[in-house]
Amino acid sequence: VGAGETWGEILAPQALDLALLTAFIALTLVSFFRKSVRLKYAALVAAVGYMGFMKSSLVSISDVFRLTDLSLPPFKYSLAWYLFSLFVVVSTVLWGRLYCGRVCAFGALTQLMDAIVPARLRIELPKKIEQRAAWTKYVVLAAVMVYFVATRDVALPVRYTEPFWMFGLFGTTAMWSGLAVLLVATVFVRNLYCRFLCPVGATLGILSGLTVFRIKRWAECKTCKICEKTCEWGAIRGPQIVKRECVRCDDCERLYLDQQKCPHWIVLRRKGNTFVSA
Amino acid sequence: VNKVTAIVLAICCGGVFAAAADRIFTTPNPAAELKRLFPAAAAFSPLGGTPLHFNAYAADPRTNPAEKPIGIAFWTTDLVPEEHGYHGPIHILVGMDLIGVLTGVVVTYDSEPYGYFSVEPPKFAAQFKGKKIGDPFRVGGDVDAVSRASISIGSATRAIRDASRMVAKQLLPPEVAK
Repeated sequence: VGAGETWGEILAPQALDLALLTAFIALTLVSFFRKSVRLKYAALVAAVGYMGFMKSSLVSISDVFRLTDLSLPPFKYSLAWYLFSLFVVVSTVLWGRLYCGRVCAFGALTQLMDAIVPARLRIELPKKIEQRAAWTKYVVLAAVMVYFVATRDVALPVRYTEPFWMFGLFGTTAMWSGLAVLLVATVFVRNLYCRFLCPVGATLGILSGLTVFRIKRWAECKTCKICEKTCEWGAIRGPQIVKRECVRCDDCERLYLDQQKCPHWIVLRRKGNTFVSA
Repeated sequence: VNKVTAIVLAICCGGVFAAAADRIFTTPNPAAELKRLFPAAAAFSPLGGTPLHFNAYAADPRTNPAEKPIGIAFWTTDLVPEEHGYHGPIHILVGMDLIGVLTGVVVTYDSEPYGYFSVEPPKFAAQFKGKKIGDPFRVGGDVDAVSRASISIGSATRAIRDASRMVAKQLLPPEVAK
């Protein structure tokens, strides 16, 4: 075909996107490895602003559909998309649902909301209900997959089972109304969509079964409930961290590092004292 | 056990869905679309030839066998099947006159998640009417960019450009295709 484009012509329009995406990924990873609250909020703001409103780069249910037909955008014209997708898959396999915790613009938006909304408005769901509700997203995933295979229609799931279109600012009145209801509900139940409804989160939840680098647990975690109570994602159940639900928010890992709060260190200190005094 | 379950699940899903994957969505009889591209045409040949195309005629060639075509229409999906948007090929019927000027394009099917604000609005298709095959077809230049839908717009534009140039090269006189 007489397209006759040089690599320079192909790369030039993509260079800025690639550079900014690389910077965003770097910020995400640095915030994750340093367990820094500040950097995490910086990453969340960048996720909403750049990945969301500027680029609308979110993993959509339509990206899950493409697993069924392996229909991919052309590589050389979509380099940033490939880098983004590679990062999502690789980071999930390595660490779990890092994407849900700080890359997804909608998740970042609801987490930022959660930081602003007064705590007294929040309803803490009973554990039983929370655990059952977490399965809903897998039901949503199964339903939209069946719908897609039967009809090959991408539009309906993209508009009505996920809110990610909002960053494109193109919605019908019905879509915006649904989103408004969802956001109001999120004021009371934190990260409602991510925890209970998101089919993309469900997909990454399945993938996170492969997680290579897991969160360390101490022997003391069998009896201690501090992390379980702190976890905003309902991902800690007794001694277990439920990988499907964990988005690597760092809250429990920051507690592990806190020698004043984590019983592991307190027990170690006591043992040390006994040893010294004996 | 978790790992094995995840892998088995992934493979099963993949298998089931791959089986259902290969469906084709070309409009089998685009009579209305052809008429929009060539309002003056009285008749169209069936899809045929190499590359696959329709001929548009001012008078029915069955009553007047000497009738010469006034234009050509073709599917981008037949000409450049390898061109994909965000999710699969975007099906576009292109009309071209015999001097390499597009008489219009019609987007009949896409499965782009953001197709409804990128390639589906008539505004997108309208820009290609009157475009010459030698034009740059550059998104952000002579074709409007739509932010947050650059993959879809880019793919549809390249499909129209490359398919038109291919058809011109093979079916129109050499001085047109230059």
